[in-house]
Amino acid sequence: MKAKNILFKLFIIFVLLLTGCSDEPTIDNATMLDGDQIFDASIYNPENYLVSVAIDNPTTIQKNTPVIIATHGYSATTFEWDEFRNHSDMNANILISQVLLGGHGSTYEAFKNSTWKDWQTPIMNEYNALRDKGYININFAGSSTACALMLDLIKTDEIGDNGLKHIFLIDPIVIPSDKSLTLIGFVGPMLGYFESTNTTIEDSYYYRFRPQETLKELLNLTNKVRKDLQKGFNLPQSTQMKVYKSTNDDVADAVSAVLLYRGLKNHDGSKINIQMIDSKLHVVTRLDGRDTITQKDIDIQKQVFDDMLMIIAQ
Amino acid sequence: MKKKKNDLQKKLVFTLFFLASFLGIEAQTSESKKDWVKDLKIGIRMQKTQKLYWENGLAMDFTSPKIANNRIHLGFSYVTTRLGSAMGTNAIQQDNFLFNLGYYFRHQKKLQPFIRANTGYFYADYESDIFDDLSNTAVLLSIDTGVSYEFNTPITINLSAGYNLNTGTGLSGPGTLYPVFYQLSVFYTVFKKS
Repeated sequence: MKAKNILFKLFIIFVLLLTGCSDEPTIDNATMLDGDQIFDASIYNPENYLVSVAIDNPTTIQKNTPVIIATHGYSATTFEWDEFRNHSDMNANILISQVLLGGHGSTYEAFKNSTWKDWQTPIMNEYNALRDKGYININFAGSSTACALMLDLIKTDEIGDNGLKHIFLIDPIVIPSDKSLTLIGFVGPMLGYFESTNTTIEDSYYYRFRPQETLKELLNLTNKVRKDLQKGFNLPQSTQMKVYKSTNDDVADAVSAVLLYRGLKNHDGSKINIQMIDSKLHVVTRLDGRDTITQKDIDIQKQVFDDMLMIIAQ
Repeated sequence: MKKKKNDLQKKLVFTLFFLASFLGIEAQTSESKKDWVKDLKIGIRMQKTQKLYWENGLAMDFTSPKIANNRIHLGFSYVTTRLGSAMGTNAIQQDNFLFNLGYYFRHQKKLQPFIRANTGYFYADYESDIFDDLSNTAVLLSIDTGVSYEFNTPITINLSAGYNLNTGTGLSGPGTLYPVFYQLSVFYTVFKKS
């Protein structure tokens, strides 16, 4: 009888837990990217963001000009690379394609229904469009999850020899800092979504609510890349890589850089170039929208931007 | 470089401590085996961390009639990716030195559910000086629960699932110290007091 009572109470608690979970978050359409009013600007004006759309018939000079495909991370938008565009406009003669990942930049529902393969597709679309138009100096810059997506494209030979000149990875994620992500398959269905701590400005450019389905996709992607690195692979011929990794990052664990160092080699088998940065930020190159930034953060951002532009100029 | 050297020294001290404790138990068993030891088992352990590495190694398990009437098991283990995921791959080489104290239910039966508290030392080798600023050691604190089955032959199998309380967070702790792990241990009984 006692055992039956305990089982009954456990059943009631389980039912309450299930019914207590909310599948859909409360979204403020007027202020949040998650809603149906605020969309990423590249959806309305792709010509301002994608070189392949902006220039119909590139000249020979344009075809030889370095183009950087700059891609943001999970739950973010093209906003993440606006500061790099502004810096480059003033300091270099390059073209920038700010690519919006699939499933991003529109509504919570669109995000919820997307897979990591969907996220990856626009990168390849822009890369192929640029090649079709004759650009010969194509480069890639990615932050956080975009780095994992690029690593997968290299591993699967989607980006072949002489395809990209330089690849810049900013705070790549291979190992998540929040280890509870590894339990998403168990706790995710009970919770439905997770709420992030965006600032007011960030709410317009980053999803505040992260559907558990997309977190599962993120885990699947990072787990695949980790296993690929464990086996080891090389960069394509004529492609150089530089990795910038914050040492105290509460999103992408700094040990991600160790896995890259061990598992990814240049085409000739030599070690890739990694710079560890004494910072507490995730994506050290994006400062806009943050609550507090220090002079040190500003200096780091400038140093990374200048370093990237110098490498491209070489 | 200095940090790496300190890490290696720490690792050596822990290893010596680990071996010393083993030798201490061994010495005790030879002196007063009949009084103190009920079962002494040694064996192999395979550990899989959820969404990360295989770590394999050795384990020892010991019970005494003078400690909670054989219900409490004391043990230690050493599991490492060097004998698991890192063999011939680029996985990080990492070591877990673990002492455990377990409470076994139905201790006179063949099938014994148990719950264990574990503590010890974790070390990961990051290979290059450029990662010197990253944390690569930690005190291990974990709990696990499972079942033990003792066959008629001197073989015992333990299956358990556990949770690390002290994982890496990105801001502190080694990044490859994950929360959930599963273990399979196969023991050979080297001494059994009937």
